[in-house]
Amino acid sequence: MDYFGQLLANGLVLGAVYALAAVAFTLVYGVVRLVNFAFGELFMVGAFLTTSLMLPEVRLVGHVVPMPGFSFPVAALVAVLLTAALGVAVDRIAYRPLRRAPRLAPLITSIAVSVVLQSLAQTVWGAEELRFPEFELATYPPVVLFDSIYLSVMDLVVMASALCAMTGLTLFVARSSLGRAMRASAEDQTAALLVGVPVDRVVAAAFAIGSGFAALAGVLYAQTYGFAHSSMGFLPGLKALTAAVLGGIGSIPGAALGGVVLGLVEALGAGYLPNGTAWKDAISFVLLVLLLYVRPQGLLGRPELNAAGRGSLLGGAAEMGGWLRGVFAGLDRLLAGSSARGGAVALGAVALAAAAGLLVPSDYWLRILTTVLIYGMLASGLNVIVGFAGLLDLGFVAFWAVGSYLTSILFVLVLKDGFGVALQETWWLFYLNLPLGGLLAAALAVLLGTPTLRLRGDYLAIMTLGFGEIVRIVAINWVGLTNGPMGIRGIPAPVLFGVPLGTPRAQFFLALTLAAAVVFIVARLVRSYVGRAWVAIREDEEAAEAMGVPTARYKLYAYAMSGFVGGFVGVFYAHYQQYISPLNFSLFENIILLMLIVLGGLGTFIGPFVGAVIWIVFLQVAIDIPFVQAYPETRFALLGVILIALMLFRPQGLAASARVPLVMAGAGPGKAGRAEGAVAGRAGT
Amino acid sequence: MSAAPPNPAAPTPAILAAEGLTVRFGGLEAIGGLDFAVARGAIHGLIGPNGAGKTTVLNALTGFVRPAAGRLSFDGAEIGGLGVAAIARRGLARTFQNIRLFGAMTVLESVLVGGHRGFGASPLALVLHTAGARAAERAAIARAGELLDFVGLGREVAGRVATTLSYGHQRRVEIARALMSEPKLLLLDEPLAGMNAVEKAEIADLVRAVRARGVSVLLIEHDMQIVRALCDRLTVLEYGKRLADGDPEAVLADPAVQAAYLGRAR
Repeated sequence: MDYFGQLLANGLVLGAVYALAAVAFTLVYGVVRLVNFAFGELFMVGAFLTTSLMLPEVRLVGHVVPMPGFSFPVAALVAVLLTAALGVAVDRIAYRPLRRAPRLAPLITSIAVSVVLQSLAQTVWGAEELRFPEFELATYPPVVLFDSIYLSVMDLVVMASALCAMTGLTLFVARSSLGRAMRASAEDQTAALLVGVPVDRVVAAAFAIGSGFAALAGVLYAQTYGFAHSSMGFLPGLKALTAAVLGGIGSIPGAALGGVVLGLVEALGAGYLPNGTAWKDAISFVLLVLLLYVRPQGLLGRPELNAAGRGSLLGGAAEMGGWLRGVFAGLDRLLAGSSARGGAVALGAVALAAAAGLLVPSDYWLRILTTVLIYGMLASGLNVIVGFAGLLDLGFVAFWAVGSYLTSILFVLVLKDGFGVALQETWWLFYLNLPLGGLLAAALAVLLGTPTLRLRGDYLAIMTLGFGEIVRIVAINWVGLTNGPMGIRGIPAPVLFGVPLGTPRAQFFLALTLAAAVVFIVARLVRSYVGRAWVAIREDEEAAEAMGVPTARYKLYAYAMSGFVGGFVGVFYAHYQQYISPLNFSLFENIILLMLIVLGGLGTFIGPFVGAVIWIVFLQVAIDIPFVQAYPETRFALLGVILIALMLFRPQGLAASARVPLVMAGAGPGKAGRAEGAVAGRAGT
Repeated sequence: MSAAPPNPAAPTPAILAAEGLTVRFGGLEAIGGLDFAVARGAIHGLIGPNGAGKTTVLNALTGFVRPAAGRLSFDGAEIGGLGVAAIARRGLARTFQNIRLFGAMTVLESVLVGGHRGFGASPLALVLHTAGARAAERAAIARAGELLDFVGLGREVAGRVATTLSYGHQRRVEIARALMSEPKLLLLDEPLAGMNAVEKAEIADLVRAVRARGVSVLLIEHDMQIVRALCDRLTVLEYGKRLADGDPEAVLADPAVQAAYLGRAR
C-alpha cells in the first residue's frame, strides 16, 4: 500500500507536467489543426530561461554573463512570458504563411523549428546540463501523508500550479470573449473570419498560451529533476503529445486527463513491471499505439478532428525575389529537361558517381561519398511514403534498424558467438540478408500499418513516431537479443566469392550498385499504376477513392515499400559500419532524412540524393570553420533554417522540377512525354 | 453484405435504384425516404433548389456518405454500405461539383488513374517490365488518348499538368478520367456550372455522346433549358424529399416544381 501510494503520488506529479504540456499541443491543434512538434523545445527553453534567471551568472555561448538571480516564482513567471512571446514569434515567422498550405508543409516546418531551437539552445547554453539552483521553497521538509507517502513541497507546487493553470484556461476559453473567438475559430476559421473574429490574433493567443503552458511544464520538470538540458524537451514533448492524443486532441479536459493517465501508467508501470524503469517509455508508446487502434479520436476527442486536409505539397509558396529566383529558374530549366529523359540521366548520374569513385584519391572522401549514398538510399525509401504517397512517417528509422539488427544478430550473435562459424565461410548470407532484411521490415510495416493506415492525417505521423521509439527502446533494453546499448561489434565487411569488399573504394562501389538498384526498383513502381495511385492519394485522397483506388491498401503498399528499402539499406549499413548500436537509429536521424528529402525535392527520384550530397558534404566542409568547430550543432540549426525557408518559399525542394513521370518508360506517347517535363517545369515555379 | 445475386435472365430495367434513401447529419435529416430509379441507357436529371440535397444524394450513392436507412441497388446488386472504392469498381463513376483533379499530375496521368481497376500487374512484373505489364500500360495509354479525343481535348494536352488547363478543359479531363473506369453509370455534379452558352452546348453534346457509348448518366444541373433538352427523365428534390418525378416537360410544368424554384406565394 505504501509503495503503491508513493507511486501514485509520483505519477500525479509527472502527470501534472505532461498535462500542462499536452494542453499546449491540444490548444494549438484545436485552433489551427497543427501538431506543433516544437512545443517540446519551448518546454526546454522555459526550463533554461528559469534556471538562468535564478542564477547569479551563466555561461552563454562561452561567455560568462551576469544574471539577475531572481527568486523561483519571479524567474518562472518571466520565463513563461518570454517563452510565450517566442512561441508567438515562431508562429508568425514559420507557420502563419503556411496557414492555407497543405498539412504536410506546416508539419514539416514545425519539425524544422524543433531542430533549430534545440541546436540553438545547445549553442547558447552548451552541451552539458545546467544544474537547477537550490532555492528556499525546495528545502522545506516534505509533507508526509498516511505516515508513508512523501511529497515534497515542490511536488505540491507542481500539482497546484497545474491545477490552477488548467482551471484558469478552462474558464478563459469558456467565458472570455477571446476564448469564445478561439472556439469559433476552432470550428470554422473562414466562418469565424466572416463574422469578424480576428483569427490571426486568436491563433497568436493560442500559441502564446500554449507556449506558456509548455514553458511552465518545462520549469516544473526542470526543478523536479534538478537540471536543464538542450535535449530535455524531446521525450517529455513526445509524452505530452501522446497524452494529448490519448485524451483526444483538441479537448482541454482531454489533455488533462490524458496527462494524468499517462503519468500514472508510467509511474505504476515503472514500479511494478519487471525492469519497469527501463521500459517505462515504451509503456506510454504502446499505450498510444493501442489507443490509436481502438479509439483514434482519444478518450474525450471528436472523430472529425481526425480528418485529413487534402491538397498537394505543391503551391502555396510565397513569392521570392531577386537573384534567388533567377537561380531557381535556371535550376528548373536544367532539371525539367532531365525528367523527360529519365533513363539517360540516371545512367549519366551513375557514370558520374562511378568516375568520382575511381578518381577520388582519399579514403576519407570515399567514406563520405559512401555515406552520401547510404543517406540518399534511406531518403529514397522514406520518399516513397512521404514524397509520393504524402504521408508523414516519423518511424522510418525503425525499418533501417530492423535490417541492421537482423544481419548483425545473424552474423555475430548467432553464427559467430552461437555456433563458432568462421564468418568468411558464410559471406553469401549477406546477399541473402539484403532482401530478407527488406522483407522483414516490409512485413513489420504491413503489420503495423494495417490497422493504422485507415487513420488519416497527423495521427499517422504520431503513430509512426511511437512505433519508431518502441523499436529503439526494445533495441536498448532487450539486451539478450540486441546486446543493448553496447551494440553489436565485429560485423564482417562484405565479401564476394572470396574477394573482400572491405576497402573504402570497394564499399563505395557496392553502395553505388545498391543505390542504383534501389532507385531502379522504386522508379519502376512509381512509373506505373501503383505510383499513380500513390500520387493520387497524396493529391486528393477522396477523389482517388472515387476513381476506384483502394486507398488504404495503396497506403499500405507505400509503407511496405518504404520499409523494404529501409531494411535493405540497413543490412548494408551494418556491414559497412561493422558496428551498430541503438544510437544509430534515433528519431533525430529520421528527422534529418526527412529534411534531406524536403531539401532535395519531395516526390522526385533525384531529390533524396541531391539533399544527401548537399548535407553530408556541408557537414564535412563546415567543420573546418573555427566557429562551427566549437559549436558543431550550429550546422543543424542552419539546416533547420534552410528547411523553414524552403517550406515557405519553395516547398517542392531544390529539385522540384525534376518531376517524375508516372507513366511506364517506353510505353508513353513519345512527344507528350517530352512536353510533360517542360510543362511541369513551368508549373513548378 | 447482403448482396442480392444479379439475375442475368431478367436484368432489372433500372441501372440504379434508391428505395427509402435517408441521410442524416446529426439531428438533421438531409434526405428523407427518397425513392428514385435511373433507367438503363437514360440521361436522368436530378434537380432542385440550392440546398435540396442533390449532392448529398450523389455522395450517398457513391459511398461518401453512409445512408441512415434505405436500399441502394446498382446493376442488380445491393451497394448500400459499401466503401467508396468498392462502389466505384462496380462501375459507378462520378465527377465533382468543384473540380477535383490531382494537382501535379499531367492530363494523361490523371486519366490513367481513372482506369485503376483495369491494372493488375504484380510489383515484380512492374519492376521487371514484363511483356504483360507493358502491354497493359500501352493499351491504357491508347484508350486514354481515345478518351481525350472523345471529350474534345485532343491528345496534345496529354502532357500538360491538368490543373494548369482552363476551367472548361479541366471539366473535360474530369469526365475523361471518370470514363476511363469504363463505368456503367456516370454521375455528373453540375458539369455546366460556370460555363458560357457555347461551352454548355458542347458539354451537352458530350453527355449525349457518353450515353451513346452505352453509359447511363445521372446529372445534377441548374440550367433548365439544358436539362429539358438533355434529360429523359427528371427527379426533383426539395428539402431532401422527392417533389416530382417523371417526364421533363410534365415535371417542369408542375406548379409545385415551379413554386419550389420561384418561391411560393404564401
